[in-house]
This record gives sequence, C-alpha cells and structure tokens, in this order.
Amino acid sequence: MGNQNPLAYDYTVAKLFLFTTVLFGIIGMTVGVLIAFQMAFPELNYLFGEYATFSRLRPIHTNGVAFGFTVSGIFASWYYVGQRVLKVSMAESKFLMTVGKLHFAVYVLTILLAVVTLFMGITTSKEYSELEWPLDLLVVVFWVLWGVSIFGLIGIRRERTLYISIWYYIAAFLAVAMLFLFNNMAVPTAIVSGHGDWFHSVSWYAGTNDALVQWWFGHNAVAFVFTTPIVAMIYYFLPKESGQAVYSYKLSLLSFWGLMFVYLWAGGHHLIYSTVPDWMQTMGSVFSVVLILPSWGSAINMLLTMKGEWQQLQTNPLIKFMVLGSTFYMLSTLEGPIQAIKSVNALAHFTDWIPGHVHDGTLGWVGFMVIAAMYHMTPRLFKKELYSKSLMETQFWLQTTGIVLYFSSMWIAGITQGMMWRATDEFGNLSYSFIDTVVVLHPYYTIRAIGGLLYLVGIFIWAYNLYKTIKVGRDLSDKEINVNASPMSAN
Amino acid sequence: MFHWLEQRPFFFAVGVFLTVSFAGLIEILPNFAEQARPTVGTKPYSGLELAGRHVYIEDSCNACHSQLIRPFKNETDRYGMYSLSGEYAYDRPFLWGSKRTGPDLMRVGNYRTTDWHENHMFEPTSVVPGSIMPAYKHMFSKVADLETAYAEMVTVNKVFNVPYNQPITMKDGSTETVKLAETFDEARADMLAEAKLIAADMKNQDVKDAVERGEIPQIVALIAYLNSLK
Amino acid sequence: MDLGQIQAYAYFFFTAFLVIVLYAYIFHLYRAQKKGTRDYEKYGNLALDDEVSTKPLEKIEESEETPKK
Repeated sequence: MGNQNPLAYDYTVAKLFLFTTVLFGIIGMTVGVLIAFQMAFPELNYLFGEYATFSRLRPIHTNGVAFGFTVSGIFASWYYVGQRVLKVSMAESKFLMTVGKLHFAVYVLTILLAVVTLFMGITTSKEYSELEWPLDLLVVVFWVLWGVSIFGLIGIRRERTLYISIWYYIAAFLAVAMLFLFNNMAVPTAIVSGHGDWFHSVSWYAGTNDALVQWWFGHNAVAFVFTTPIVAMIYYFLPKESGQAVYSYKLSLLSFWGLMFVYLWAGGHHLIYSTVPDWMQTMGSVFSVVLILPSWGSAINMLLTMKGEWQQLQTNPLIKFMVLGSTFYMLSTLEGPIQAIKSVNALAHFTDWIPGHVHDGTLGWVGFMVIAAMYHMTPRLFKKELYSKSLMETQFWLQTTGIVLYFSSMWIAGITQGMMWRATDEFGNLSYSFIDTVVVLHPYYTIRAIGGLLYLVGIFIWAYNLYKTIKVGRDLSDKEINVNASPMSAN
Repeated sequence: MFHWLEQRPFFFAVGVFLTVSFAGLIEILPNFAEQARPTVGTKPYSGLELAGRHVYIEDSCNACHSQLIRPFKNETDRYGMYSLSGEYAYDRPFLWGSKRTGPDLMRVGNYRTTDWHENHMFEPTSVVPGSIMPAYKHMFSKVADLETAYAEMVTVNKVFNVPYNQPITMKDGSTETVKLAETFDEARADMLAEAKLIAADMKNQDVKDAVERGEIPQIVALIAYLNSLK
Repeated sequence: MDLGQIQAYAYFFFTAFLVIVLYAYIFHLYRAQKKGTRDYEKYGNLALDDEVSTKPLEKIEESEETPKK
C-alpha cells in the first residue's frame, strides 16, 4: 500500500457533526435551564401555552442533551478518531463517505422530528426512549449506518491492532443497538385495529416486565451512551493532547472487559423496593458496587497518564477539562453505587439526589469531555488556531462552579426531602404533608437553576470560541499540525 | 492469547456482544410469564380511562408523579397499600416514573374526587397552596382522542389477549365485565355515557356543554383515568 | 437438594470461577509483558502516532509475530 502519496484524512462528516454538537448542546441545555427555573418559579410554565410546561419540556431536555448533544459529539469524534487510529482516510472509500453523509442526514432529520413530536406531546412515556415507532425506525436506520461506517473503516484499515478507543466505540454501537431494539418493541395500534392515530403504538411488555426492560435499557443507555463512547474519547484525546501514551494498556484491557461484563447487571438498581423479584434488585445492588472497579480502572488509568506531566494542568485548559472530567467520572461512579445500596436507595429514590447524581456525570464528565474533544478537533479540522485561551479558562471556571452548585444543592434537596417524607412524630404519624416537602426545596431549586445557568453560559462561550476560531482564527494551513497540545491564541 | 482479539474486529465484536448480552439473558428473560399475571380485582382500562391515560402520557405527568408505592410504613401511610406486581398487568407502558416532584398517584382514586381534580388541574395552587405544578388549562378545551383509545383496546385485546368482554373476579368475589364494543361508534357512545357521569360532578360550564354536544374534553378523560387508580 | 440450594451453589462456583478467570487474565497479561513474549504497552502509542503518512505500528498484511520496532 502506498503511503507516499499525499493522502490526508477527510473530516467532512466530522465537521458536520461538530456543528450539530454545538447546536443541540445549546438547545438542549437552554431547555434544561428553563425547566430548572420552572421548578423554582412555576410562573415560567406559561411562556408558550401548553407547549412549555415542565412536563412537555423535560423529555425535550433529556433527549436533546443525550441524543442531540452527546450522540452528535460521539459521532463527530468517531469520524475524527476512527480514521486516525486506524490510519485510513475516508477519502479512500467513496462508499464510506456516502454512508457517512447519509448517516448525518438521517440523524439530523430524526432529531428535528423528535423535537417537533415531543413538543406536540407524542411520546411513549418510557424515559430516554420516548420517541414513537416511526422515529424509532429512523433511529435504527442511522444507527445501522453508523455500524457500517465503523466496520467499513475497520475493514480497510492499515493499522492491524484496534486501539482502545475503537473497542469502546464498537461496544457502544452493539450494546445500544440491542438495548434499543428490545426496549422499543411495540405494536402500532392503527395497523392492528384500523383506527386512530397512525403513529400510536402500545408497548410489547406490560407493567413490571415493561419496567424491567425499560430500566435494563435506561440504565445501560447511560452506560453505552454516556460512558463507553466518552471513555473512547478520553482514551484518545487525553494522550494525544498531553503527548503521553496511556499509562497502562493492560489496565485498559482489564477495565474494558470488566465494564462490559458488569455494567448490564446493574440496571436493577433503578427498581429497588419495586415489584420486580427480590433477587434482581439484589443483583442490581451488588453489581452496581462491583462496577466501581472497572470504572475507576479507566479513570485512574487516565489520571496516571498525566504522571510526570502535571504542569500541563496549569498551562493547558484542555487538559483541565479532561482531568476534571475523569475526576467527575470517578465521583459519579462512586456516588451511583452508594445510591444503589438498598438502605440508601430507600431514602434517595424518587428524590432530587438522583437528578443530582445524573448531572455530576453528564455535566462534569460527558459535557467536559465533549467540550474538550471539540476544542481539540477544531484546529485540526479547520487548520485554524483556537481563538482564545482566556475564554477557555473563563468557561472552565464558570462551568466548574455551575456543576458544584448543581450537585451540592441537589444533594441537600434530595436528602432533605427523603428525610421529611419518612419523618414521623412521637405517635407514629407522618410529620409533613407532601406539599411541605416541596415548599422547603425552593432555595435549592433556585441554586440549582443558577448552577445550570452558569454551565449554559459556558456552553455559549464555547460555541462563540469555536465560531471565532473557524471565522477569524490564525490560519495554520501551511503548517502541519502534528503537535500534541492544541494550538491556541494566548489572548 | 487475548491479544489476538484486538486484531480481529469480527471476533472482538462477537466477544463484546456475548459479554454484554449475558446479563440480559439471566436477568430479563426469567419470570416474564409469572409477573404478567393480574392480581384478583385488577381489570383492564375502559375506553374513557384509556383515553385519559393517553392524556396523562401526552403531558408526561409521569415526569413528576410516580405510580409505585414502596413497602415502607411512611409510604403506605401516605399513599395506601404498597404496589403488587399483578396490579400493573394491563399497564402498557408502565408509568412508575422515577422522580416524585409531586406525590405518588398509584391509588389517587381512593382519596381525591372529580371536583378536586377539576380545580387542581385548572389552578393547582387553588387547592394546594405552594404547589409548583403548572396549570393544565388546555385540557379543558382540547378534545380527547377517543378513536386512538379504542384502537388501543382492540389491539391489546387481539394481540395480548387482554380480557375485555369477559367476567373478571373482583376482590369480594363478584364479577365485573369491561366492555369492548364491536364498532368505534358504539365505543364512542359508551365513552360518552361514562363521560356524562363525570361531567355531572364538574362545574366548568364549557366542559359540560362540550360533553352535551358529544365531545369529550381531555380533562374528563383524565379524571376518569385518575379515578380508576385504586 | 432443592432449587434454591442448587442456585446458591451455582452462584458460588460461578463467582469463584470468574474471580479465577480475572486473576488468571491479569497474571497472563503481566507475565507476557515481563517475559517479552508480547509488548502490550507499545499499543498505547497508537493514539500518539496517528498521522496517515507515518508507518503503521503493525501493518495489516504482516504476520501476527511482528518483531518490535
């Protein structure tokens, strides 16, 4: 194979997904901040009639950030990292290029339709799986296209060994495909009966079974959308940005297979003290605790990768994002198992501690990694120097403050409410009516909303910085960007 | 020996898939038949209740309200008897929720009335001062989709053998039958009859007029559903 | 033996088996590295040396037993 011709990586598709990452990030998180403020100030529910109540907007927020922002970021990084570690350019295959563009087109169409239908209240009500069956079919199409892209690129690779990141992308692809298909099994009612809305469907599973399948899906959607592909990113971007090879390849092997084996069992922890069989609840609880090992395996591997190079933490804001990201990963993979312990779960379940936990992971880990990955990719995609280092610093500190406000207020809110629900007086009567436990949360809801707002401001700074980089960043096209640390302007 | 895998994408993918699906096989597949069995006294939803359930889903009430009472004294004191698996046998999808921003609704039919719901949905703070729940005024004018509810009844009856038109044993030993009409027009008439009983307990004149005209506003269907939660 | 007992035994032996597999795997990895039969850590460089123009660590056509660079 001729390596001497001036072959270059082709980032057309990566650029497209980069734009949607920013766009859906802004949309999803703006909605998130709005609904956070609605919980503190309910008058904000009436901005757009029936379409802007908390209940309508919440699925838009979750779908927007999970399947808009995060999944776009995953795809963008795949179309960048995939080529590089396999040492093959998408320009070499017309077929894969077409697949990539088609993948993007179907994906964007699906997300836009998802936003419209969710606004209209067309939902299956299953969390993170709200889309009705016609949209589910579109999801299957773009997911399969992604699979074709992954295995197609692997098929024409030059590098024999698959790098760690590729394992995690493969795992994300396969597991999400399986989970998604099983959880969305439904019967379209119009086809069977000949009546009613054509897009309405009824779940294949009933009651407790439906809950079981839903949380087997729901928990592992978290695993294979918010964890494995993000781990894939950090295994590439942190070593690349810091110039340090991953601390231990062997540890990465161990944590990969450990994570694959253990993660799927932990879904039961969403159903503790529910009507699913006891042994499943116990399994969910136990495996959640075991899950600390492979999760921390990856996180520690990342932190140790920085060994001897910690001064970069001071000089390079991207390293800051990634190191704090893996620290938040450690925090939320410790917090999750704690909440999965039965006695803790009895207190924490149904309270604000749970969204608090989710946001440690998503804001601190997923968000920071996606932000850092896009910052790393942009100078290389557009051959421009990053517009402003000081804006990146500002963004980092704003968002970190935002996350701390978010999770600390939700910890207090959750535990307060959980304790008040169970409080009894000396005669064994409940001490508080339900509304007492809502009113008391007002200050925490306000703090949480402010934390979210700070994070959102950071997202706008990020978008502005990327935009300026592409528009007016110093041109680097005559130079090879083979350096590790991303080129950034000092101001 | 394991090094081999990372160079062979096909076998690698197979390995990942097997490892990942293992938990599902052990955890998800067993117990399926057993859990789907309804408890004595659990009956399928009527047409109007199902239409109300669709309203509940359309406005994602489950984003803030759970329908799962855990076996703790403080929960049974607050909401009633803890949940049993068979009580959910006809819930497609399940609506347990994952967050109690508002209280549990598993047995709300036992302690709230039609007029309470009417006031509450129109202006929550009028009955619960300090409530952060939004008002759902549009439910008073928007018409419920009865045909889709009927379509769902026919579908679950055909595909999942949900026992419509069959006597169902209640807790006291008597039997009740939930009717599934032959045609949509007949089903519509049944739903309207049910709606009239609820509208009679309501005070909103627009809603009453609409029901007189033969239209069923979403609020009526939703209340029918909430009243059925026992 | 009733079903519960069988399940308990199965559970115990399965756990023991997995623990042995895990430790055997760790042992295998580190011994192979130490004895030099396989250098795992060189694959960490795949992320650093990823320009399309540079030579792959192991080309796809070459045999599995490529000598170390």
